Amino acid sequence: MTTGAFPSTAYDDWPYTRGVTVERREVGALVRSAVDGDAAAWKSIVEGLGPLVWSVVRSHRLSDADAHEVYQTVWFRFAQHLGRLREPDKAGSWLASTARHECLKVHRDARRLMLTDDPQLLDRVSEDGAPEQSLLEAEEAAAQSERVRRLWQEFEELGERCRQLLRVLIASPPPSYQEVSAALDIAVGSIGPLRQRCLRRLRARLEERGAT
Amino acid sequence: MSDGLNDDFDTDLLEEELRQAAAVLDPLPPALLQLAVEAYALHDLDARVAELTFDSLVDAIPVRGATDVPRMLTFTAGEVTLDVEVTAEGLLGQVLPPRPGRVEVLGGPLQAVSLTADDLGRFGPTEPPAGPFALRLYTGADVVVTEWLRA
Repeated sequence: MTTGAFPSTAYDDWPYTRGVTVERREVGALVRSAVDGDAAAWKSIVEGLGPLVWSVVRSHRLSDADAHEVYQTVWFRFAQHLGRLREPDKAGSWLASTARHECLKVHRDARRLMLTDDPQLLDRVSEDGAPEQSLLEAEEAAAQSERVRRLWQEFEELGERCRQLLRVLIASPPPSYQEVSAALDIAVGSIGPLRQRCLRRLRARLEERGAT
Repeated sequence: MSDGLNDDFDTDLLEEELRQAAAVLDPLPPALLQLAVEAYALHDLDARVAELTFDSLVDAIPVRGATDVPRMLTFTAGEVTLDVEVTAEGLLGQVLPPRPGRVEVLGGPLQAVSLTADDLGRFGPTEPPAGPFALRLYTGADVVVTEWLRA
């Protein structure tokens, strides 16, 4: 993937924060340090893998309230199991898979079904875009913000399977395919081809709307 | 359609653009990040974890049309079993085999409500948990904590 070398200056003005990149091979060592009482190691794990958990939760179309509770549940349980993880190196997969299971439980819960059709979800793009706009004064920036908004809207309207896969893939920093596999219960080998297909589909939609 | 190499390059670009859009339009809320940092306090080496062995949401056949069915949960750690029932009215449960003790209903790193289990191991009812919860059971020298879960 070409993440580091993205040849764009268009986003420089955005309040764009990435998660902290944790080398995946360091995760196991961080887990072991956290078990031994190193709170800074725990914080590094949370900062490195929190965005992944958030992406998995967001890929499952829950109400905001449910999404926040699932996110907390996953981390509370991870803290609880910290010293008992069989494969500390795969903490990311453990978190992704636990998040997936908790999301599926929300969908099963009849008491919550009504809440998942949260109308605010549909308005999110316009609502959440508002605070950033005050920071963008130049016309160019306004055009850019319009482009981001349109990109996000086309993404939200993709088929459910593509939307879900891409929402997990665009966690920041990008997840490993093992983590994506755990998050969505799909084979590692099918992720690459599916990803290509979904991104091509998204691009076609953008081109159709003349948005490129 | 462009050739294969360009195609890969284009989709990589589009993915990165989408990643940046997500970071702007749907970022991880800072409050949630903070809660996860504080969750370190829940890492507890002394307690045994009671795993969820039955969850009516997963293991029971749903009743058609019923909307306020109680959530029945069973947690097991070795010989200790905790049966818990959660409804909109409250949370109650029983320790099996029956024994008296103290039960804490945890709502996060800083929240705990203390209950007493009677001679038959029964505790509650108490307020239903508003979010994720776990139960910590003290009986004799033994401490058992249930897996974190949403009610």
